[in-house]
Amino acid sequence: MQFVLAIRGQFPPGDDMSARFEELMEQVRLAKRLGFTGIAKSCHYSSSPWQEIQQIPFLARAAAEAPGLTFITSIVLLPLHKPLEIAEQTAALDLFTGGRFILGVGIGYRDVEFKAFGTSREERVPRLVENIHAIRRLWTEDEVTMKGSHFELDGAVCSLKPRRPPPIWIGANADPAIRRAAHIADSWMINPHNRIDTILRQIEVYKRGLDEAGKPWPETLPLAREMFVARTRAEAIRLARPYLEAKYKAYHAWGQDKAMPEGDNDLGQEFDELARDRFLFGSADEVAEQIVGMMKATGANQLSLPIQWPGMPQQLVLEQMHVMAEEVVPFVEQGL
Amino acid sequence: MQFGLMTRGQYELGDDMQQRFAELAEQVRLADRLGFASLTKGSHYSAWPYQDFQQLPYLARMMAEAPNLRLNAGIILLPLHKPLDLAEQLATMDVMSGGRVIVGAGLGYREVEFAGFGTVQAERIRRFEENLEAMKRLWTEETVTMEGSHFALREASCPTKPVQKPHPPIWVGANADAAIRRAARIGTCWYINPHNRISTILEQLDVYRRALDELRKPMPEELPIRREVFVADSREDAVRLCGPHLAGKYAVYASWGQDKAMPAGDSDLTAAFDDLARDRFLVGSADEVAEQMIALARATGVNHVVMSVQWSGMPQSLALETLQRLAEDVFPRVRQGL
Repeated sequence: MQFVLAIRGQFPPGDDMSARFEELMEQVRLAKRLGFTGIAKSCHYSSSPWQEIQQIPFLARAAAEAPGLTFITSIVLLPLHKPLEIAEQTAALDLFTGGRFILGVGIGYRDVEFKAFGTSREERVPRLVENIHAIRRLWTEDEVTMKGSHFELDGAVCSLKPRRPPPIWIGANADPAIRRAAHIADSWMINPHNRIDTILRQIEVYKRGLDEAGKPWPETLPLAREMFVARTRAEAIRLARPYLEAKYKAYHAWGQDKAMPEGDNDLGQEFDELARDRFLFGSADEVAEQIVGMMKATGANQLSLPIQWPGMPQQLVLEQMHVMAEEVVPFVEQGL
Repeated sequence: MQFGLMTRGQYELGDDMQQRFAELAEQVRLADRLGFASLTKGSHYSAWPYQDFQQLPYLARMMAEAPNLRLNAGIILLPLHKPLDLAEQLATMDVMSGGRVIVGAGLGYREVEFAGFGTVQAERIRRFEENLEAMKRLWTEETVTMEGSHFALREASCPTKPVQKPHPPIWVGANADAAIRRAARIGTCWYINPHNRISTILEQLDVYRRALDELRKPMPEELPIRREVFVADSREDAVRLCGPHLAGKYAVYASWGQDKAMPAGDSDLTAAFDDLARDRFLVGSADEVAEQMIALARATGVNHVVMSVQWSGMPQSLALETLQRLAEDVFPRVRQGL
């Protein structure tokens, strides 16, 4: 089974970011030693209340610390960008990772980001679709001529060709976005926000989408969940809650839940309610059992672990990484 | 005097770029060991007829090889980008490197790049100025509200601030007189270009000084220049060894239209090599190159020379040898001579 360390790289205001960055490098090195198969990095701009380490420079630097691992953007807010830029930058990442790079993309949902990039929420779906099309062409064709809604490729050439065109995955919360992932992407990145029952319903949306498009089941189907392991479920909740609760309050304030399906679109509810059927807490066996249940029900074969929430101290992160790699993952592998 | 290595990272189509990258990493490690001060990477998109590595990921990756070098994104084609994107990426790189980032900024001149980024040459100056203003504000203010021609910051923030205060140095690349006046106005310094003849640069330095005077700004502490540099046993050897590769690069510049961005009277990049090289490239024996550098520094006041020592097609061994000769035979003489 593939298991990936998902790094948000978000830290509370006032934190010394140079020290935090060195800690992230330590996490990346430990991930390699513990047998994690990949490193993923998310991306937001104007990420107040958090400070954030930016995705593409981070992945380029981290690639030097963990050769042999898969590196994943989880996700690039693709409608904000020009395809020539992303095609060339990610071709460099593909080279730095020895051809083990995966381009995860999504549409985004925050107006502060759309506006800062000279676009709007209304344009995000067409931009996502045409950007993916253009990036694939730039990666594979000698020379591309294509008129997009916000760019024009006039005999443009991708200055560096990836070793093989990296898989393009779409992170999606809402049903239409999941259907889109089935139609135009190489996989759906199953998001960590939706309740487990929502995900189990949505896997059917994804399957129908694949059928409509006449596409086979993806080689890799990644599943992300927030989780924390302690001796008991109560202790796991007590230890994780301060950081996880603050993170989901920020998601709610940013409007992440507006991108989620009706009936499961309130990330502002009380923590107990929020956590139920959404986050995985408990002893190593308990958490592993829940993971096995989700992976069997969805067919996912890659587990993405966003271990650190803003403010969570390094020591606790390193401990959780050990527990996941040494206790949870072996149990999951046995159960699958 | 600081000495910097510029790696263009441009290679012929068909070259194995994994191999070329490993060679560049070797050059960078050597430069770090030999006491170079900085590593520079330029940026072009759609770099045909070359392959190229993208600038910011490249510099971020090279940080791992060069614990001591300053990292110069020299230059970023500023009008192509959004200021929030650049402010945040560069702040992260400054954090990751412990405050070693230099922000090179230029206008760009190639249509294929403007079109690819949904803009046109006619918008480049306006975008350049407003992007730089927005970036400085994002680096120094908590939240920024600013209406640009191609972006709108609505209480946007760059929450991760650069390590260097108030922000990393901004080296403004400029070939033409108007651009040099702009560099005086909005840059930390003018980043003197590699293409113009030294005689042209002396005239342009007058333009720069006058502009600084008008703005009541002092001459910047750091005055960097980019040059093409090659050292061998003798000038003949140097020209024989680097000439074909360097001439090839300048033929491509001409085909891209770089010379259209240069001042009249010094805008022909298609001249025969000797003519092109004279008063423009620092090429020769170690003694000769040292003398050329001393003369350049005395005449212009530059105190950071950013050197390209390899051009597409030139073998790795020659690049490594030049780095070695520069550090051992040229830099000490220059420092002694100044």
